[in-house]
Order: sequence, then C-alpha cells, then structure tokens
Amino acid sequence: MGLKSDLETALFFAKKDTGKNIRVFALIILAIAFATANIIIINGFMDGFSNSLVDATLDISSGHVNIYPKENDRYIEGLGIKELKLDGMENVAAYSSRLYSSGTLSYNEKTKTIKIVALDPEREQGVTKILEKIEEGEGLTKENEILISYRLAEDLSARAGGEATLVFENGVSKTYRIKGIIRTGATDLDANGVIMYMNEANNALGLSGKASIIMVKLSKRELAEEYRDILKKELEVSKIKVWREEIESITGFMNTVKKITDTVIAVGLFAAAVSVGIIIYVNVIHRRRQIGIMKAIGMKSSLIFTVYLMEALLLAGIGVAAGDALGYIGTKYLETRPFYCPIIKEYISAKFYTYLLYDASIVSTAVVVLAGMYPALMASRTNIIKAIWGT
Amino acid sequence: MKIIETRELKKTYTLGKVEVNALNGVNALVEEGEFVAIMGPSGSGKSTFLNMVGMLDVPTSGEIYLNGTEITKMEEHARVEYRLRNIGFVFQFFNLFMELTAIENVMFPMMLSGHPFYKERAEELLESVGLKSRINHLPSELSGGEQQRVTIARALANQPKLLLTDEPTANLDTKATHEIMELFRRLNEEKHQTIIMVTHNPELGAKTDRIIHFRDGKVVK
Repeated sequence: MGLKSDLETALFFAKKDTGKNIRVFALIILAIAFATANIIIINGFMDGFSNSLVDATLDISSGHVNIYPKENDRYIEGLGIKELKLDGMENVAAYSSRLYSSGTLSYNEKTKTIKIVALDPEREQGVTKILEKIEEGEGLTKENEILISYRLAEDLSARAGGEATLVFENGVSKTYRIKGIIRTGATDLDANGVIMYMNEANNALGLSGKASIIMVKLSKRELAEEYRDILKKELEVSKIKVWREEIESITGFMNTVKKITDTVIAVGLFAAAVSVGIIIYVNVIHRRRQIGIMKAIGMKSSLIFTVYLMEALLLAGIGVAAGDALGYIGTKYLETRPFYCPIIKEYISAKFYTYLLYDASIVSTAVVVLAGMYPALMASRTNIIKAIWGT
Repeated sequence: MKIIETRELKKTYTLGKVEVNALNGVNALVEEGEFVAIMGPSGSGKSTFLNMVGMLDVPTSGEIYLNGTEITKMEEHARVEYRLRNIGFVFQFFNLFMELTAIENVMFPMMLSGHPFYKERAEELLESVGLKSRINHLPSELSGGEQQRVTIARALANQPKLLLTDEPTANLDTKATHEIMELFRRLNEEKHQTIIMVTHNPELGAKTDRIIHFRDGKVVK
C-alpha cells in the first residue's frame, strides 16, 4: 500500500472522527482560534507601538544615517564640501546639519540652562518633523527668533511672542524673540531645548560653517547599512551611525516589553495546547476499542498515529484559519482606535502586518500538532486484545 | 490442505504475581474449507486460541502454521500485513465504526489493502449479506443482526483465507442468530470459506462440520 493511499485513508478517518465529535472539537477550534488571534493582536499591537516609537524618534532626532565629527573633534570639518557631495548623491533624499551647543536663557528674571539645537529650517524639514511640533506660536522665519521647549517655557513662565536673553557658552549674550513653543516627545529636547538658526548660532559662537551632526535621509531606510560604507568613503568621515544604532535604547526597551508579551502569548498557547492534548487524549481513551478493531483488521500503528495526528492538523487548520480571521479583524479594529502614549507623546495603535498571519499560523499549528502527538502515539501503541475486550 | 496447524501452543498470562496458563500445549489442525466450532467452558482457552491463530497476540511458546507459513516469529509489520490480507474477524460485540456508514465500514479493510475498486466491492458484499438497501445507514440505524452482517461483509472484504468469529451470535435474537448461521453455512458451502467459530452454544456447534473441545487450555477432543 502506497504512501498516498495511506494518507488518503488516514485523512478519511480523521475527517470522519472530527465530524462525529464536532461539538467537542468546536471547543478545541475555539481555543486554537483565540490563541492564534491573541498572537496576531498582541504582536500587532507591540509592533505598531514599536514602529510608532521608532518613527517618532526618527521624526525628531535622527536621519537614516548620521555623520559625526572625528574622534576628539567637536565639530565636523569641511561641512560645505560634504554638503555639496551629499547634494549629488543617489538615494540621498535630504540632509540636515545641526550644531549642538549649550548656554542659559533668561526671561522675566528667571534663568535656566539650555541645550541649543541650531539648524537650517528648510533642510531640517526634509529630514525630521521637529519643526512641526509647535504647540504655541509659529515657526522660525528670521534669525533673531528661537523656539523653546514647553517645559522650558513652563519653568521660565515664558510665552510665544516674548523676548528672552540667551547667553552662549562663549559668554556672548543676545536677545531673541520666542517665536514658538515646541513639544517634540524627545525627553532631552523637551526638557530644556532651544531651537535656532544654524548661521546665527555659528556667528554667536564665533564659528564658521560648523556642525555637530549631519543627518542624512535616504530614499529607503533599508539602505542605511549600505550607505554607511558609501558615505564613509565619499565624505571621508570616520564616525557614522545608522538609525538602528541611534535607537538602540528604544529597541532594548521594546525587546524587554516583547519578552513579557511573548511570555503572555506562550502561556495562552500552552493553555490551548494542553486543552487540545487533553481533548484528543480523552477521545483516544474513549475510542480505545475502535482503535483495537482498526489494528485487528490490519491498520498499521504508523497509520493510526497518522490518523490522530491528522486530526490534530485538521483542528489546527480550522482553528488557525478562524484565529487568523479573528486576529485580522481585531487588529484592524484596534488600528482605528489609537490611544495617546505619554512616553512618546504620540497616538499609537495596533498595526496589521501580513507576516503576523504567517508567524501566528506556523506557531499555533506547530504547538497544536505537538500537543496531538502524545495522544496519537498512545493510540498507535494500543494493545489489540486489551482494547477489544476492555481489559 | 491444512490451513491451520498449531504445535504445543502455550500462552501464559501474568496477573499480578499469579501466572495463568491460558493455553497449555495446544495441538490443533484445521483443513481448508472447513467450518469448525471451538467449544468449551469459560476460561478454557477458546478465545486465546482464536487470538493466537488470528495473529492478534503472540504465544509464549509453540508454533502456528497458517497456510504453511510459520507466523509466530513474524515481525510486527509483516503480521499486520498478513492479518489484513488473510484473516477476517467477526467479533461478539459487532465492533463496527459507529461514525461510518455500512458501506464505509466494509470499504475500510480494502482501503487499507489498496483495493482499486473498494466501493464497488463493498456494495457487492453488502448485497451478498442482504443489506443492499441499508448501505448508507449508520450502525446505530441498523438492528443487531444487520450490524453483524455488516461485520461479516467487512471481514470478507479482502477475501481472507480464514474467517474467525468469536461468539458471533451471543448478542442476537433467535431469528438473527439463525440468519447469521445460514450466512456462514452459505459462505462455507458456496465459497469454500474456512470458518472457525468460538461458541458456547451446542446447537450452533452442531451446525458446523466439526467441533474442537477445549478444557483447561488444552484440546480434549
């Protein structure tokens, strides 16, 4: 007897048995479906959250590739030439140079230490959305204007439209008009950040064309690794970080959260697997005499094993398909119900990704089949005499 | 031609610390085409003997020849294959697959053996046992006699050389018992089917060609 015929016979029996016990098996299917949907929804939620967090970070404080000064240098040398080279490079969608510095800001007799982020607003808009995060007032249009963070505004009791005195780290003091108040979601910038024009900061600090970072946005962020080497060579720079390295602290945090959710998922799957195993086990016990007859007639042990394994596979197939549908509907529903996340100061929601279906289907099927193995093995090892005569 | 020959067949079961000799050196012979009854009191070893020659169990010692082949030393997979193609069973409690219809029950052994026209043959077999109109009924929709006839049709599916039956009429009324015995007799006379039937009932034993009497795990006459 061939393998095809063996499988046909096993499938025939598995289908008949499943059909006969449809009520009991409906419970198994339900357990598998919920466990599968659980995987999709929780992972969809976690991946949605994770991607929102990454996007939010990239939107505020990083390009796909960031160029830094050489070791022991404070500023990037030859900024103009590097920018010219970037202008002509393929897949470089935009870039923005920033100059970081520090100082103090005084407003109405209150003074606070500040972190200065100097940039070219036009170029910055091509790379990040930091200038869109204005909570009060307007964006920068003149060099004597600054944007300050909402917490700095709170600390200084400052309002948009007011004038503040900024003392740079070299002691130069100038008065600026507070054009707007920003809330970016980036902790350090929101604490005491002041945004101003790049040229203005360079002039005040007595520098010329200096930058602390060049943030490069590529046509696709997947090109980052490839462009790390290209930019290193073309721009003759030694320190380059890609976006993944810039968000390492976030991915570390997300990995920890993921481990927790994976544990929750594993517990759910284990519960489903145990219930599947128990129900198939009870079914095997209940059908012991029938299994004995099957063997007496001439059904091989391996084929009996296949019948019960196929039964588990059938249940897994139906349960996983139902779970996929449930997970898809659940995730899509949650996509339309975003909620505000105080960590990133953004609305986040679950996101449906096709790979979630594949992952959940494979994991659930594997777990259910594994759960069905012991009862299937037990069925295949049934002693004919004891089974038929019930001894 | 000898279809069954056993030599000094012994079977010992261990029940806790007690050893029970179910078969105690059985020498038996059945010729091809015979309809033989095996009779004896409870615990005499009738069913154990049937299990041994039916290859459902292995003896503790001794030899069994089926159609000239010594079967006691066969590997498990060879035993299963041999049983499928050469031996048909009819049990006391019908033992049909309750989720399968009559025809599906009869098809089952042929599906296992890879019979190319199992459905057609199953129909023929059910017709031959008088159940043509009941082929699509589940066992629960059939009477005891009808269920046993389905079991007989199933046992004959792969044209076995040997039909083994253990108290096949024990759960049937008189009319159904008579019908089943008639069916066995017809199979034996028309198809030369070798049949070995374990029974307690002397009336049924009397309807066979020969009776082998068992007592205390031995053939007594």
